[in-house]
Amino acid sequence: MARHGEYKTPGGKLVVADVVVEGGRIVSAEVTGDFFLEPETALASMTAALVGAPADASERELADLMERSLPEGAQLIGFSTEAVATAVRRAIDVDSPRERV
Amino acid sequence: MSDQRFPEEMLARWHEHDWQFIHDAPTAPRLHMAIDEVLTLEVGAGRREPTLRIWEWDSNAVILGRFQSVRNEVDMPAAERHDVTVCRRITGGGAMFVEPENTITYSLYAPESLVKGLSFVDSYAFMDAWVLEALRSLGVNAVYKPINDISSDQGKIGGAAQTRRAGAVLHHVTMAYDIDTPKMLEVLRIGREKLSDKGSVSANRRVTPLREQTALPRETIVERFARTFDELYGLTPSTLTPAELESAERLRREKFDSDEWLYLLP
Repeated sequence: MARHGEYKTPGGKLVVADVVVEGGRIVSAEVTGDFFLEPETALASMTAALVGAPADASERELADLMERSLPEGAQLIGFSTEAVATAVRRAIDVDSPRERV
Repeated sequence: MSDQRFPEEMLARWHEHDWQFIHDAPTAPRLHMAIDEVLTLEVGAGRREPTLRIWEWDSNAVILGRFQSVRNEVDMPAAERHDVTVCRRITGGGAMFVEPENTITYSLYAPESLVKGLSFVDSYAFMDAWVLEALRSLGVNAVYKPINDISSDQGKIGGAAQTRRAGAVLHHVTMAYDIDTPKMLEVLRIGREKLSDKGSVSANRRVTPLREQTALPRETIVERFARTFDELYGLTPSTLTPAELESAERLRREKFDSDEWLYLLP
């Protein structure tokens, strides 16, 4: 069962992370949200970079992994690799339920 | 709030093109998605002049952003109950709830040279400078709220989204002419984190539709948009070519109608 975390960049966009942890490592990660990203394929690069990371990696370490995976010239608009890392940490640490108001 | 001024030499770029104007007959939501992709590629390839397309919808719809998850954004049984077609577009951004008579949507397809030297964020306001002028001429004190919200002192009006493909920029905008808030809240899931920096936990207070802000018929507003663009930059009447329509129909069947695309992010 995936753990769920969300983070909205102030003045920017929402990032949603659904993360599965097994044996102390991230084994699958899905990152979604209302952000803008060019090229669109950069999303798969970022989530692939998360897979295999230690479940206790810091936000900085997770952000660096994603940063290094980005194709040259990739543009993240309304969010950042740090924002994704925050959502991933929240998923692992808090596992907030999906909610609606 | 931003009331951005752009350098004259950038604004002059709008006059370098013979802008084409397409005003659709009511069209199925997923065909609209396909037409956007096809016309972006056609303009990028130089086979079509830059174009303004004003959409007409033929059914209710939820249009998800390229990077949104279906289950996080849509209550599927509620969508079915309200005869809402759910589709995924090729641009990022947030989910739009569409009812044909309540919605004003348009697309711009232009060579990337139009926005050269502008940041992605600045290019949003640049592509919509003309529509802010149109709204102001209708008495709406419209401003751009970065990144991609069109708003006024009375509330949010609509949102824009962009993507860049093959040397072209696609910029499309959906505005609320009217809004059935209870129905929208049944169909869309709007969580607390999303509203965490909006200063309001009530989604229905975020949008103030144009009917309320202008007391004008939808058609009058749509006509004013086209007239303002024509007065500023010129417009030549156009339609989809048979080849463009055929490409769009094929792309709809192969991509936008497929579960692979809709559930790309489940």
